Amino acid sequence: MVELTLFVIFGLAAVFGAVSMVWARNPVYSALGLMLTMLSIAVFYVSNGGYFVAVVQVIIYAGAVMTLFLFVIMLIGVDKSEERTERLPVQRPLALGLLALFAAGVLWAGRLVWVTGAPAGVVPVDGSIEAIGTELFRKWVLPFEVTALLLIIAAAGAVALALFREDGGDE
Amino acid sequence: MNMNLLAVAPEVIVVVAVVALLMIDVQWRPGPVWWAIAAAMGIAGATAAVALQWVDYRGADAASFFSDMIAIDGFGAFAGMVIFPLAGLGLMAAWPLIRSQGGRGAEFVVLVLIAATGAHLMAAAANLIMLFVGLEVFSISLYVLAGFTRERVDADEAALKYFLLGAVASAIFLYGIALVYASTGTTSIGGIATYLRSTILLRPGVLMAGMAMLLVGLAFKVSAAPFHMWAPDVYQGAPGGVTGFLAAGAKVAGFAAMARVLAVALGGRIDDWAPAVAVLAAVSIVLGTLLALVQSDLKRMLAYSSVAHAGFILTALVAGANGIPDMWFYVATYAVQVLAAFTVASVVSGATQGRAPLSDYTGLASRSPWLAGMLGLLMLAMAGIPLTAGFVGKAAVFRSAIDADYLWLVIVGVVSAVAGLFFYLRVIVLMYMQAADEESGHIPVPGGARVVLVAVGVLTVLIGVVPWPLLTWLRDALPL
Repeated sequence: MVELTLFVIFGLAAVFGAVSMVWARNPVYSALGLMLTMLSIAVFYVSNGGYFVAVVQVIIYAGAVMTLFLFVIMLIGVDKSEERTERLPVQRPLALGLLALFAAGVLWAGRLVWVTGAPAGVVPVDGSIEAIGTELFRKWVLPFEVTALLLIIAAAGAVALALFREDGGDE
Repeated sequence: MNMNLLAVAPEVIVVVAVVALLMIDVQWRPGPVWWAIAAAMGIAGATAAVALQWVDYRGADAASFFSDMIAIDGFGAFAGMVIFPLAGLGLMAAWPLIRSQGGRGAEFVVLVLIAATGAHLMAAAANLIMLFVGLEVFSISLYVLAGFTRERVDADEAALKYFLLGAVASAIFLYGIALVYASTGTTSIGGIATYLRSTILLRPGVLMAGMAMLLVGLAFKVSAAPFHMWAPDVYQGAPGGVTGFLAAGAKVAGFAAMARVLAVALGGRIDDWAPAVAVLAAVSIVLGTLLALVQSDLKRMLAYSSVAHAGFILTALVAGANGIPDMWFYVATYAVQVLAAFTVASVVSGATQGRAPLSDYTGLASRSPWLAGMLGLLMLAMAGIPLTAGFVGKAAVFRSAIDADYLWLVIVGVVSAVAGLFFYLRVIVLMYMQAADEESGHIPVPGGARVVLVAVGVLTVLIGVVPWPLLTWLRDALPL
């Protein structure tokens, strides 16, 4: 019961945060909306026993990433609100219509019953750091190592995109 | 954990080359020749490694390693044998662009090599998480490559558009993985297949939603309609030298991932996804052909034609695992053709330039008979004229679709292929039957582009005339 109450409250908060992030004209409100969503999701992790993931979620996303976003917003200028001129006036209703169609299709396929008969599966980690570390460096070591490539791309890509010259000539 | 270093040997070799290149470049700034040497060694080593995988593990000997994360099978090995040489050809074609970028050229080479690694990981992945990490490694490199000449505003726009839409597609794909995990209890591709074969799902709503999202995410990557909107703008805006690799690499990696996810993991539910794939294929073929007819820019035209080709390749996939050899034949031959076609565009319209208006190609035959001949051959091959690889590819994918009882799709495909002749032949008419402008002179062809064009031209004709060896080999290019 507690879990259901938590889910309803923070589920609504997460959706509200996500919608307000997209909707807000002022980028600072958008950032705050995103933070609300991140924190609400952290509550879900706690209620599912993923304490470590919840803490990481708060520290990394709500902490570090949000601070970075706010820095960028402040550097660009808070007062610059977005200009909305849409050249395709039908796209909003069309998007909503397609969303409704997709949802209806999923509901029809599932006939409103969401049980699929899947095995509960092994709960991947019990929330403790040891369990996560063991899984990460045994079973999942290859994907974990490959994410290192993403860091090389980030470094090389940042150098490549930042160091361009307006004339595009040789050094 | 069963480790087998051969499974990751191609990746390790390329990454060693990348790191060596970056370190040497930082320390000594040795210049483009050393980048070329590092890249050539990385690509040659990786190609040798996948060839060894092909020799030792194709067919019944396939196995998966690293806790069922990566497979060594004919499928992944063949994908590697296409992807790594493709990266080499792409770098050769892009060499004038790399040289024009000064010190940033090293990063360009690094990004192409890492993109090839990501593409091979997508093809060899035996777990959806591994596949997703490979997809991100591959896609993010391409986003940067698309915007490499940022001083041009259209390249900036192309990169941003590719990045934003690509990120949304990746998010949809990731959500699809989560829903498939929710309904099957595993992310292992083999595990999902086993579960779906041994279990009757009475209420498969979550699985259906997951399948739909996986399909959408991958359809975006291969630019199948209606998820193709980014392709024309990205291919037109990206610097000429790299567009070929963007287009060819995305097709190979995207279809490898698609075949593994749909035909292997979700193979037990083929009756659910095959109709959706057939509709995607038909829409892509028709829309790509119709929109290519009205383009006035060669790169945009090739982009829409690549949408149509995505449709033709999807036609093979409606047959499930039986269509995989035919899919590979089409993907491999089309990938080298599209790489070469964009290479011609980069030579004629400029390696750092985005636009390639068709007016650049009027009377090309008198300015450079050699380039005009190659582009003409490629156009004929893409149109599917007999005695080129394009014809055999189309015949192969149509045969797969007929075997799977999708006759209507084949009819749509044949009619569109005939209609497509119009825009491919229009380029040839422009080049051969109209006079060039007075002021435009002879066009010098860089050595790298020359090698690419000769290699692709020979392959296209050779495979078109004697396709049987390749078709026979491809019977072994099956996934685990």
